Amino acid sequence: MSTPLVFFILRIVSALALLVFLGALFWVMWRDFATASEEIDANRRVHGRLVHLQQIDGRYVATPETFPLLSLTSLGRGPSNVVPVEDSFASTDHAVIALRGGRWWLEDRQSTNGTSLNGIVIDQPVIVTDGDIVSIGQSHYRLELE
Amino acid sequence: MLPAQAERILLVFGGVFLTFTTLALMVRGTQGRDWLPLLVWIVCAVTGHVWLSRSLPWRDPLLFPVAMFLGGWGVIIIERLTPFFAERQTIWLIVGVLALSAMIAVPQLLRKLRDYRYTLLLFGLALLLATIIFGTNPSGQVGAPQLWLGFNSIFFQPSEVLKIILVVFLASYLAEQYPMLRALQTPTGRRNAGLSPRILGPMLLMWGLSVIVLIWQRDLGTATLFFIVFLLLFYVASGFTWLLLGGALLIAAAGVVAYALFDVVQLRIDIWLNPWLDADNRAFQIVQSLFAFAQGGVFGQGIGGGSPGYIPVVHSDFVFAAIAEEWGLLGVITMLVCIAIVVTRGLRTAARLNRRPYLSLLATGLSLLIGVQSLLITGGVLKLIPLTGVTLPFLSYGGSSLVANFIIVGLLLRLSSEEIDRGA
Repeated sequence: MSTPLVFFILRIVSALALLVFLGALFWVMWRDFATASEEIDANRRVHGRLVHLQQIDGRYVATPETFPLLSLTSLGRGPSNVVPVEDSFASTDHAVIALRGGRWWLEDRQSTNGTSLNGIVIDQPVIVTDGDIVSIGQSHYRLELE
Repeated sequence: MLPAQAERILLVFGGVFLTFTTLALMVRGTQGRDWLPLLVWIVCAVTGHVWLSRSLPWRDPLLFPVAMFLGGWGVIIIERLTPFFAERQTIWLIVGVLALSAMIAVPQLLRKLRDYRYTLLLFGLALLLATIIFGTNPSGQVGAPQLWLGFNSIFFQPSEVLKIILVVFLASYLAEQYPMLRALQTPTGRRNAGLSPRILGPMLLMWGLSVIVLIWQRDLGTATLFFIVFLLLFYVASGFTWLLLGGALLIAAAGVVAYALFDVVQLRIDIWLNPWLDADNRAFQIVQSLFAFAQGGVFGQGIGGGSPGYIPVVHSDFVFAAIAEEWGLLGVITMLVCIAIVVTRGLRTAARLNRRPYLSLLATGLSLLIGVQSLLITGGVLKLIPLTGVTLPFLSYGGSSLVANFIIVGLLLRLSSEEIDRGA
């Protein structure tokens, strides 16, 4: 093939690639705005609750103490948290449970002693669901979605 | 969709465009046939993406890929226009991505910036003063504005750093005065108590010093940028509508005064009003730029197909004209959309953080820097407004500018993953 022809084809492909990139930009923005508006709706209500559990003879027993599950639920020893954890192993800002992209995520906020999900220490954000048990130190909470 | 997924899609599509553009340049280009910028871009994009995904999982998904796309496009344009500078620009791209990562890696950075704002600003002003004494111009021309500090063959423009420092200073200062600015009725019974000299004084002093030093150096583009961003930020913090009107009048007044005082302003305004009187001489640059736009049409001449080389120093302030000639309206729109995305995502971050004034104002100020600077230079190159010599963010040749813009994007990324309302 002659050079001008190759150049012409490459020009067309490169222009198409530019358009595809532009399209992808708009698509991502549109998705992002859709998610944002869902999240705004979600922020207005309580989605469930966190039940404080007590471990008796290796079994979890629910206590009457429950906390509302908000779209951003913070856990920690600090009194401003949605779930104030009274535990000597808890950091001030220990962990968060957040609704992101339609799913519930548990994240450790670089706490000193770590956060466990169903007994396994998490090292990155994980998806949580109904019935999961979140543990901070010796405090355990069961997630109950509505 | 997770931010990381969206980011990956955008980076891949951006990379596809850059790859085909490099290929076209190899086939057609009379100069600049090098794979290196593309390879460096891919490495930077992949490492940056992986690192961001680990450290900021809930960041804004558009900022990083758009900044990388513009940065990579810029390097390829430099490679096509002035291959001699492309190697340097490629290195600056690496430095830029490292600077962006540093903004995210430093713990409690935003709080530290607020706590040390006076120190930072004095440091910035000291750098600027050093430029007055030791300043050089990399082109080595006699009489050219000496806005750079040189170490061997590395040149650095302190005003690029100062603009970020100034925005940090203004954001933290205005956030501190926020209750006063927003108070409708103060204990003393005076409305507009936010305008008392006690509140305005330190801010006007610091900002005035910066602008005076810039005017002293004849860096009028950056002085204009500071002035506009300052006014807009003050307007956002206080909500006084008359600030905008008053500011516009002040700019007009400053323009008239500067027209009488500075030759360069007189020249810029004369050729803005009518470039055709002196099209071969003093207005040569702007006239050639207009020809480039006309030549580009809708689809452009293709990379390497046009002759933007007729525009003097096209790789720096006039890179917009090179895009118009070689990528046409399509390229111009894509570029403007990309910059608009950086600005609107920044402002969206600011709106999201509206319960934390410092972070909100910081995000506003940083996005305004990019937005106003882009408007000044794209408007200037198109002869819509008098030309002010500022760089086109991400695309123009210039290390300090590229690194400064990556620092801004790094800070915006960090702000975008801050939580909505918890103590800073």
